[in-house]
Amino acid sequence: MVGIAVGVALVFAALVANASLTGAVRELSEAIVGKADFQLSARSAAGFDQRVVAQVQRIPGATATPIVEARVNLVGPRGRSSVLLVGGDPRLERRRGLFLPPPLVDDLGVRRGERVTVETGAGRRSIALAGTLGRVGLGALSESPVAMAPLSQVRAVTGMRGRVSRVFVDAAPGRERAVEAALRRIAGNRLNVTPADQEVTLFEHASYPTSASTALFSVLSALVGFLFAFNAMLLTVPQRRRLIAELRMAGYAPAGIVQVVLADALLLGIAGSAAGLALGELASRLLFDSVPGYLTSAFAIGSQRLVTWQSLVLAAGAGVLAAFLATLIPIRGALSAAPRQEPTTTESPRWQRLAIGGGVACLVSSLLIGGFAPAFSLAGLAVLLVGLLLLLQVWLRLAATAFDVVCRRLRNPAAIMAALELRSASARTRALALAATGAVAVFAVASIGGARADLQRGLDGIAESVDDGAQVWVAFRGPANIFGTTAIGVAKGQMRAIEGLRGVRAVSRNRGSFLDVGHERVWVLAPTPSRVGGVLRRQVEDGDPALAERRLRRGGWVALSEDLASELDVGIGDRVDLPLPRPTRLRLAALTNNFGWPGGAIVMNARSYARAWGSHAFSTLGVRLGPGAEPVRIANAVQSILGQWSPLRAEAAGDRLHHQRAASRAGLSRLDQIAAMVLICSVLAMAASMAGLVWQRRPTFAAMKVHGIGQGQLWFALLLEGALLLGAGCLLGAAFGLVGQHLLDRALETITGFPVSYELAGTGAAGAGAGVTAAALFVLAIPGWLAVRVPGSTTLPST
Amino acid sequence: MLELRNLVKHYPSAAGEPVRALDGISTTIAAGELVALYGPSGSGKTTLLTIVAALMPPDSGMVLVDGREVSDLSARESARYRRLQLGYVSQAPDLLPGVSAIDNAALKLFALRLGVREAHRRVAPLLERLGLGDRLHHRTEQLSAGQRQRVLLARALSTEPQLVLADEPTGSLDSRRSAEVLALLTELCEENGVAMLLVTHDPQAADFAHRVHALRDGRLGDHVP
Repeated sequence: MVGIAVGVALVFAALVANASLTGAVRELSEAIVGKADFQLSARSAAGFDQRVVAQVQRIPGATATPIVEARVNLVGPRGRSSVLLVGGDPRLERRRGLFLPPPLVDDLGVRRGERVTVETGAGRRSIALAGTLGRVGLGALSESPVAMAPLSQVRAVTGMRGRVSRVFVDAAPGRERAVEAALRRIAGNRLNVTPADQEVTLFEHASYPTSASTALFSVLSALVGFLFAFNAMLLTVPQRRRLIAELRMAGYAPAGIVQVVLADALLLGIAGSAAGLALGELASRLLFDSVPGYLTSAFAIGSQRLVTWQSLVLAAGAGVLAAFLATLIPIRGALSAAPRQEPTTTESPRWQRLAIGGGVACLVSSLLIGGFAPAFSLAGLAVLLVGLLLLLQVWLRLAATAFDVVCRRLRNPAAIMAALELRSASARTRALALAATGAVAVFAVASIGGARADLQRGLDGIAESVDDGAQVWVAFRGPANIFGTTAIGVAKGQMRAIEGLRGVRAVSRNRGSFLDVGHERVWVLAPTPSRVGGVLRRQVEDGDPALAERRLRRGGWVALSEDLASELDVGIGDRVDLPLPRPTRLRLAALTNNFGWPGGAIVMNARSYARAWGSHAFSTLGVRLGPGAEPVRIANAVQSILGQWSPLRAEAAGDRLHHQRAASRAGLSRLDQIAAMVLICSVLAMAASMAGLVWQRRPTFAAMKVHGIGQGQLWFALLLEGALLLGAGCLLGAAFGLVGQHLLDRALETITGFPVSYELAGTGAAGAGAGVTAAALFVLAIPGWLAVRVPGSTTLPST
Repeated sequence: MLELRNLVKHYPSAAGEPVRALDGISTTIAAGELVALYGPSGSGKTTLLTIVAALMPPDSGMVLVDGREVSDLSARESARYRRLQLGYVSQAPDLLPGVSAIDNAALKLFALRLGVREAHRRVAPLLERLGLGDRLHHRTEQLSAGQRQRVLLARALSTEPQLVLADEPTGSLDSRRSAEVLALLTELCEENGVAMLLVTHDPQAADFAHRVHALRDGRLGDHVP
């Protein structure tokens, strides 16, 4: 039941977490969009001229609602929060002040009428808190990281006077096509015309790697959970077969026996699923509730939880199905005309040859899938698990034989008794089930942990590339700016002071932002020409890195991530048509990975960016230091120049790297949590199985005590037996886990597009194996000790 | 060799009044002597064997083996006593499932740290004498009930004990095989100077025993066939 509960819990928690993420963005989008059909949106954070709104309003059958929006930090007595500041909602236009969701009001520690500081890249302003969003009919946004104010106030605070971020357009019934065509004419080649809920589409694309990798790991964990259940069922096969045989002897018809078995499976499935849903609910609230940090830099994501009936039915249905399979498969054949009291023998040479052949075939197939069809990596993992279980039987026999050979040379009674038990044919199913539980657990932990570490290494490498060439960085404060995409303003005098600091060799003005291309929100990196090489060099996937670097330095060239180039259908040397704020002639110099941003990446030099965006605003300052200059000291000096209360923060490259890595780690935290959950549950599943097994053996222990075998010898033999079974199982599980790691790497690469740096996680796999074995043995020791204390007299009949 | 002095044992009962399982049992069994003990079910036969095997203490009285009191030994000492001085043949042939006859018979020798080879060397002649020479490597499941009983006998005798307790050793055997086993027990008993207490329902046993007793309501008396 533990196995089924674990599987159901992980699937349910992952479904709820993924549904909640998209649900939160959809809720925010619907609340802002209202019943609009289309939107006319700016291609840069600077927005577009408000006179365009008048043009839209003149379209017959169109109702236009302009809004201004900006990513800002709000600062209150209790702290700072990154939010999307939105102005333009008609419900607020007759009011003054800022409206916030209640949780945000608490976080900031402000009261109605008090002033809240609004930090933008250009400076700090304050605005009075007018109330909560629920009071003005925007209660649906109460869980969203959003702040709302009248249009004029938002413009004043953000410095976007006379500008508009987007216009939502509601078309009269039957006028949709005409309105859209008119909008496209107005937009020309400088604005985007998209469906009103385009933000949801963009988010679904951007969050796909998180949701897909969480789902991938959860499905793998569910598979592991099912195998736990299956193994637990294997332990009860002899009893079930005896029960069936007795029912048959008592005259039960096969249909009646099937009903008994199915009722048993149904009860088990319902109980396991109910426990799993409760556990999954807990996991989704306590573990999977965090919003992946990297997504908050481009989207406003709330903390709403969305539990759909589909999530419930899917997870519980899978649990019941697993119970049926786990119950029925091991006792197949028990209803045949000549019932066998013992399970089908797996000792015949023919069966062993089949198991070896099948196991090797599964192993090779999974490697081939990883190499040539990574899109089917999940199927490859399932095949690999089957291979593991097939080879485990043969592996265990080898291990038991080797142990027996060693024990025959020893005089240790406990070792000899352990060897006898391991060689015992009647204990083979039990031994296999126990070893398989350990093997599957270590396999899952090793493969998930290894793949997560590989992904993390890949992302760490990107952070180092992006920060290459400067030892001190200046950027907009706040966790939502980890990609350095918010434009900042530094006064000329401050800039001169920074450049004049002792130890400062040069200051680079780097640019960056997000750009919507089709269904993707793409990260644009625009380092100064001197830094292009450092950013680009290690991330080029296709093309000559040196040539690409020269071209990008010169300007007029870009590097695109592979998926984006494929979507735009361009190759190296081709002209690239991007939906830029200003139409600009660009050519493709190289293909890169996606720089850890799922929507894809564009790299160009800062001058090309300034031309394409029609702006000289920059988003980060990179300060290059001379020999001997201390980055932390210079960072402090720069911060003094900017002012301690500045919305900009100066930090040493090491600190910035640390923050970036922490953000990417937070994005991968669910994978860590899944691995930890599988590990804990596997130890629990093994503990439950082993305790049950050991307890069943009490009559044998009692009989052995009658013949003078001491309980210390029995206990030690039990621990040795457990150590060998678990050790052998975990060792094979660890070895297969390394192959699983490779498969998961390929799956993650395909799903996320992130760079994955494969490194054989031998130490991690060995550690997982040793950890699971040690934990299980520790757990076995207690029921084992209690079991061997059984009095010898209990085995004697009364005469 | 074995001396029982006024053994008394009570069991609690659901009715509240304790059941007196043994009521002042006193007897001796000399080395090389086989004593058969008859009695109906519930008469206290197994209780008596359990106390003599130091698996359970009596409420009062003493069990002396070679002059040494064994009824109040520690768990470790009582295990050592059963391993070295006692052979126990139980009614149910408690062999390890899936394990060969020779390994099952050598179980007590393994516990003496003799090693597998030496233990097999010692127990193989015993099994051959018991008619299992061609069944040494057969697993428990491949042996008949009688063969299993003989493996258990070999196990009991493997450490050359001074005292053998046999609880219905012929219970699962036909009369021919039963007679064979009883003859063998008598032979081993006399040859090796082993004291043997045989609890049985088998009428043939009286013919092989040196002395016959009956146990009724926890009291030892003469056996009336």
